[in-house]
Amino acid sequence: MGKIFTLAGKDLKLLLRDKASLFWVMAFPLAIALFFGAIFSGSGGSLSGMKIAVIDEDNTDFSAAYITELEGQSALRVSQMTRDSAFQKVRTGKLSAFIVLRENFGEYRGMFSADPLIEIGLDPARRMEAGYLQGLLTRANFTVLQKQFASFELFHTELDRIESDTSIWNDLTAEQNQLGKDLLSDLRGIVNNLEQEAAPDSGDTIAAKTGGGDLFAVDITAVTDDQVMPRTPFEVTFPSALLWAMIGCAATFAVSIVKERTAGTYLRLRLAPLTRTHILGGKGLACFVACVSISIILLLIGNLILGVRIVNLLILAIGVFSASFCFVGLTMCMSVMGKTEESVGGAAWGILMVAAMTGGGMIPVLFMPSWLLTISHFSPAKWSILAIEGGIWRDFTMSEMLLPVGMLIGIGVLCFGVGIGLLSRSDA
Amino acid sequence: MVAVKNLRKTFNSLVAVDDVSFTIDSGEVFGLLGPNGAGKTTIINMIVGLLKPDNGAINVDGSDDPTRIDVRMRIGNAPQAVALYESLTARENLTFFGKVYGLSGRRLKERVDWALSFARLEDRAKDRVDTFSGGMKRRLNMAGAVVHDPPVILFDEPTVGVDPQSRNLIFDSIEDLKRQGRTIVYTTHYMEEAQRLCDRVAVMDRGKILDLNTVDNLIEKHGGKAVIIAIFDTPPQDLSQFPGTIEGNTLRIETMQPTQDLVNLAQAGLKFRQLRVDRPDLETVFLNLTGRSLRD
Repeated sequence: MGKIFTLAGKDLKLLLRDKASLFWVMAFPLAIALFFGAIFSGSGGSLSGMKIAVIDEDNTDFSAAYITELEGQSALRVSQMTRDSAFQKVRTGKLSAFIVLRENFGEYRGMFSADPLIEIGLDPARRMEAGYLQGLLTRANFTVLQKQFASFELFHTELDRIESDTSIWNDLTAEQNQLGKDLLSDLRGIVNNLEQEAAPDSGDTIAAKTGGGDLFAVDITAVTDDQVMPRTPFEVTFPSALLWAMIGCAATFAVSIVKERTAGTYLRLRLAPLTRTHILGGKGLACFVACVSISIILLLIGNLILGVRIVNLLILAIGVFSASFCFVGLTMCMSVMGKTEESVGGAAWGILMVAAMTGGGMIPVLFMPSWLLTISHFSPAKWSILAIEGGIWRDFTMSEMLLPVGMLIGIGVLCFGVGIGLLSRSDA
Repeated sequence: MVAVKNLRKTFNSLVAVDDVSFTIDSGEVFGLLGPNGAGKTTIINMIVGLLKPDNGAINVDGSDDPTRIDVRMRIGNAPQAVALYESLTARENLTFFGKVYGLSGRRLKERVDWALSFARLEDRAKDRVDTFSGGMKRRLNMAGAVVHDPPVILFDEPTVGVDPQSRNLIFDSIEDLKRQGRTIVYTTHYMEEAQRLCDRVAVMDRGKILDLNTVDNLIEKHGGKAVIIAIFDTPPQDLSQFPGTIEGNTLRIETMQPTQDLVNLAQAGLKFRQLRVDRPDLETVFLNLTGRSLRD
C-alpha cells in the first residue's frame, strides 16, 4: 500500500505543478458555478422574480388593488409603463412579459366575463413562463376578491348587481332562472343571518364570522417545501461545478497515464519492483483524492461565501465519494483510447462533454425533452449531480441514495475493468 | 552475473534478435555495439523482463525469471529515452524512484545525495527537470537507475544527443561504477565509447552477434593493418629497406607491427615533416565484419 501512496503522491504533485490542468479542475468549475449562479440570480445572490410590466386600462379601485397584490408577490418584479414601451421591452428581452388590465376588469372583478379581461404579452418561445405567469395572475385575482368580499356591504352590493343584470338572466330558461333566483335568495339569507349575529358596532366581517377570512381561500398542499428546493441558484450550479471538476480530473489523469507511456516513465515503473496493481492503483488513488479534495474546496467556497447549504453531510460525502469513484473508472477506460496525449485528451474531453450535456451538466435535467431525459439515465453526469444534490438540498435518505450511488459504482467498476483489461493487453 | 543463451525474438516477420548467447561476469563492463536496429535494446528489454523471448533462456544474478520482484530490485535500468518527471525537481525525481525501490528514511536521503553527486547535479538538486539541458537530463536519467544501489546496471545508449562535456561526465561516472565493482551492460553505436569503457564488446548487426571479445582482440582479429604515413621535407634516396610505397614526399606503410616499423624509421635517421599512425579501431572492425559503417 505504501508504494501506491508513493505513486499517488507523485501524481498529485505533478497535478499541482501543472497550471493548465489546475485551471480545468479548479478554476473552470468555480467560474462556471459563479457565472451561472450570478446569471440565474440577477446581480443579487438569491432567486429573483420574473420581470413584468402592467398596463392598467381599467383604472378602477379593483385594478389598483390587483396591481398592488401583484407587486407584493415575491415571484414577480412589477413595473408600470405604457403599452408600447412594455411591448418593446418584451421584444428585446428586457422583460419576461407584460399584462394589460382591460376595461371592465374591475366591474367583473377580473372574472365571469365573456370577453377576456387580461391580455398577456409574451415571447412565444417562453410558453413555459406563460403558464407560470397565468397561475400567479389567478392567485392574485382570488386574493383581491377575498379581501374585498370580506365586507357585508360589498357583498350586498354585488348580490344586487347580479340580480339586476339582465344580460345574465335573459338567456336562461325559466327553470334555470328560478334556480338562480333561489340561489341568490339563499345567499342573501346566509349573509343576513351572519350580519345579525355580528355585534352592531363590532366591525366584524364575513371573514371573521366564517372563521378567519377563508371564504375564497383554497387549501394548497405543498408537494415540496423550502427544505427540498434550492434556496439560491448556487445550490444548483455548485453540484454542476463539482461535476466539471471531476470531469477535469478524469481528463487530466487519463492524459497523464498516456503521457507516462509516451515519456517512458511508465516503462521505468514497469521495470521497478511494482505490480500493475500498484501502478494503476496509484493513478486511481491520485485521481480519487484529487476529485474529493477539489470537491471539498469548491463546497467550502460555496458554503462559506455563497450560502450553499449542506443539508446532510453524510449523504453529501457518499455522493462525492461515489461520483469520484465513477470518474476514476472512466479515467482508466479513457486512458487506453489512444496512443498519444492528443488522441486521449481529445477523446476524453469529447466523451465527458457528451456525458455532461446529456446528464444535466449544461442543460438542467428539468428542462430536457423526454428523449434526452431517457438518454440521461445512461450518463454518469446525471447520477453524479443527483447524488451530490442529495446532500446539498434534496435531503435524500439513504434509500433514495441507493439508485444514484449504485449507478455510479456500477459505471465505475465496469469502466475500471475495461480500462485495466485494455491496458494489460497493450502492455503485453 | 548475467547469462543469455540462444535468445531469439521476432516481431511479426522481423527477426529482431537471432540466436544470441553471452555471459557477463560480475564487475565486468560489457558492451553491445551495433548500428540502430541491430537488436541491442531488444536484448536489454528481454534481460529486464519487459519482453518475453520467443526462444532461449536468461539468467540474472542466479534467477531465470527477471520479472520477479527480488530480481528487479537487483537491476538498474537507464532507458534510451529520458524517462523523468519534468515538472519535479532532480531531488524529487530521485526520491520518488528511491521510494519505488523500497528505500526510506536516512538510507533514502543518503542514496539520493549519492545519486545527485554521481550525476554531478548537487547544485541543481532543487531545480525542475524541465529547466535542465539535454546532457543534465541524461545524467539524471542514469542516476535514477542507480539510486537504489543495484549490482547489475543497464545503460541503453546513454550518450545520445549530449554535449561533449556531459559525455565526459557520463564516462567518468560509469568508470566510477566500474571501480565499485558493478556489472554493467552498455549499449552504444559509438565505437569510441565501447573502446574506452568496455572490457568486452559484442559487435551486433541485424539481430546477430558477429563477434564477441575484448576490444584489443577484436581489432587484432578483424581490424586489419595499421597505416603509417610519413611526410618528408626531402625524401631520402634509398627507401628500399622499408616496406610500403612512396608518392612524392609521402611514405605509406601498411603493417601489422607499427611500433617496430616506427622504431626502424627512427633508427635510419630520417627527418620527417609529419608522421601519423592510423591504428584500426572498432569502426574498422565493424566495417570489415559487415561491409558497412556503424553510422550507415
